[in-house]
Amino acid sequence: MSTTLERPALESPRTVAPGKDSRTLVKSQVRAGWALLAPALLHSGIFIVIPVIAVLVLSLTDYSFGDTWAWVGFSNYTDLFRDVDFHASLWHTVLYAIVVIPISMAIALAIAIGLNQKIRGLGFFRTAFYIPTVTATVAVATIWLWIYNPGSGLANGFLSLFGFAPNRWLADPATALPSLMVVGIWQGLGTKVIIYLAALQGVSRDLLESAQLDGANRWQRFVNVTWPAIGPVQFFVLITSIVGTFQVFDLVYVMTQGGPGSETRVLVMDIYQNAFQDLKLGYASAETVIMMVVIAVFILVGRLLQKADVND
Amino acid sequence: MRRGVGLTLLAAALSLVVSSCGSGVIDKSTDGVPPAEATGTLRVLLPSFPPSTTGREEFAKVVADFNKVYPKMKVEPDFATYKNLNEKLSTSIAAGIPYDVMVTGVGWVQPFASKRIFADLGDYGVTPDVIKEKSLGALIPAATYDGKLYAYPLVADARAVALRKSAFREAGLDPDKPPTSLAEIKTAAEKLTKRDADGNITRSGFDLASATGFRQSFTTFLASTGTPLYVGGEPNFNNQQGLDTLLWIKSMINNVQPYGQQNAAQQPLVFSGEAAMGIVNGGIDCSEKGVGQKVCDDLEFFRFDSGKEIEYVGGDLASIGSRSRHKDAAWAFIQELTKPTTLDAIAKLNKKIPAYKDASNSPQAKSNPLSQFVADGLVYAVNENEVPSNWLEMRGNFDIQLTQAVLGQKDPAKVLANLAGQSR
Repeated sequence: MSTTLERPALESPRTVAPGKDSRTLVKSQVRAGWALLAPALLHSGIFIVIPVIAVLVLSLTDYSFGDTWAWVGFSNYTDLFRDVDFHASLWHTVLYAIVVIPISMAIALAIAIGLNQKIRGLGFFRTAFYIPTVTATVAVATIWLWIYNPGSGLANGFLSLFGFAPNRWLADPATALPSLMVVGIWQGLGTKVIIYLAALQGVSRDLLESAQLDGANRWQRFVNVTWPAIGPVQFFVLITSIVGTFQVFDLVYVMTQGGPGSETRVLVMDIYQNAFQDLKLGYASAETVIMMVVIAVFILVGRLLQKADVND
Repeated sequence: MRRGVGLTLLAAALSLVVSSCGSGVIDKSTDGVPPAEATGTLRVLLPSFPPSTTGREEFAKVVADFNKVYPKMKVEPDFATYKNLNEKLSTSIAAGIPYDVMVTGVGWVQPFASKRIFADLGDYGVTPDVIKEKSLGALIPAATYDGKLYAYPLVADARAVALRKSAFREAGLDPDKPPTSLAEIKTAAEKLTKRDADGNITRSGFDLASATGFRQSFTTFLASTGTPLYVGGEPNFNNQQGLDTLLWIKSMINNVQPYGQQNAAQQPLVFSGEAAMGIVNGGIDCSEKGVGQKVCDDLEFFRFDSGKEIEYVGGDLASIGSRSRHKDAAWAFIQELTKPTTLDAIAKLNKKIPAYKDASNSPQAKSNPLSQFVADGLVYAVNENEVPSNWLEMRGNFDIQLTQAVLGQKDPAKVLANLAGQSR
């Protein structure tokens, strides 16, 4: 026995013209779209657009938390070009980014490839590599402060086994920034590894098997199949790394306070110092605008390199 | 039309959000209102009470006494540290909810007074003569801007020099004749410095207490030559005395003390035996909980004297926020803070000297030999003196640029000239 259910006939057929019907549908879809976007737009407006406009406006003033302020035009910007602390901070930040980004990306990719194999204890290793990412930077920095302790630190203790003299890692101008770079590379690995791992697992098995059948060795398969397949992810990791390294602050604040001298002073540290220690908010805002421009330039370069890579 | 209405509503909602964030927590003014009727919240920013149980208990006593006069007012404390004081101040101003009472240190008053963030205490009858009469005259320059008084001293943070008698005897030096001039200190420090077979310093000859910057030590050493850092807001260090002092520091670092040396507890290295001689702050705990009586007995205290006997003295200074809506209550709170019993409590909590007339007879001074020594020496007090209005900026500049000179990265003479040029 079976029952056939028939669609009941409409009591009154629609009289709306087909063209108007689709326009109404589009309009309602547009309204729904805006309604769904509204919370995000509101959030972006309050927490991104307004602050960005405020920074742009403040950068043209001499506001320093006092009762009075004045428009100073572009003098904050011209002052910045003569400010040796700003120059040092910018250089240290760029250097930090140039060293940390490629090395951490390369190490993360290598680890991700390793973790993409069928090995024992895979879950443990994945967790272990991700732990630095979820650990508070202050805790990470405190541990590394002990590692770098000239008297009783692990770094000197380990190196002494090979006959090396103790080093004053963070107190020596020559080694302070490289020491921070090591921590930065280590701390940023977890996120990159997870992203690379996801990308590697998305590489087409068919293509890899085809390449293998065509006689491609492991390296050839990596260069010709895996590498192009993870291209968009590479770009994503690159962009997030650029933004992350340019915003490095907490690590420096806890470990060196920008010292010795200004050897580890980075851009955000300089902005913080100018804004909240020296109370020069207008000046710090101009510095922030320049930082945004520099990040944009780096992202543009990354994008061009990515395009060139794809075209190759 | 409908779009216009929607946008207007959105703009109104945004304005509401922004305006409520900016001013929703500001009380009505209580100035002129009888204390018993005044209501609101008094916001207090102070690094004088550590946020420990003891610190909070002592602060609660001050609040209890304040509430006897202002029973309906709440007190909201912010137990800051000197490290984050500026952040707290600047963000509170930017947020539109400035503090009513602000306790800062030497070097803070002039910059904030010049920005009209601190109120003139002359309105409450506080003048330099009043401070001389009731408090510490040595801190008057630090509390004065443009001839007006903007802060009331709470405690003095005095520094002395200490030596280990045993180390002196071991090096063939007489601990009863401490080296006081810069030249004598260097000679003694070189004899006291111990090294391992590789030449690494294992015990410093002199602790300059400058792990985080050379500003205070430079100020101290320079003042001992009879040269204050600033005079009337003008730089007084870009001269031969300044250069000699900086070169002396440079000759000490990595010679008698490794650069950046400090212990995990950030205690004076001479207390722990990591240095044979060095700068110490204003108190020592001789009990077994502290360094112990044996160490205390091995210590001798003295002051720098390269032509002028001096003692570096900082301190906690209480001010009223110029934008406070409870200025009268704020002044009443400062009066509670400056009661001798409260000052004694603050002094004990921070190992500092209470800023009242007879500090030498204070309980804190009587509690340990170092506090007694620095309390007796407050007449030799020096500090950065009459700093320029951009001193907050200069503090960082001094720390960075003096370090660069000491580490040989920049020419010392050029560094001093540059710092003088940056002082405004």
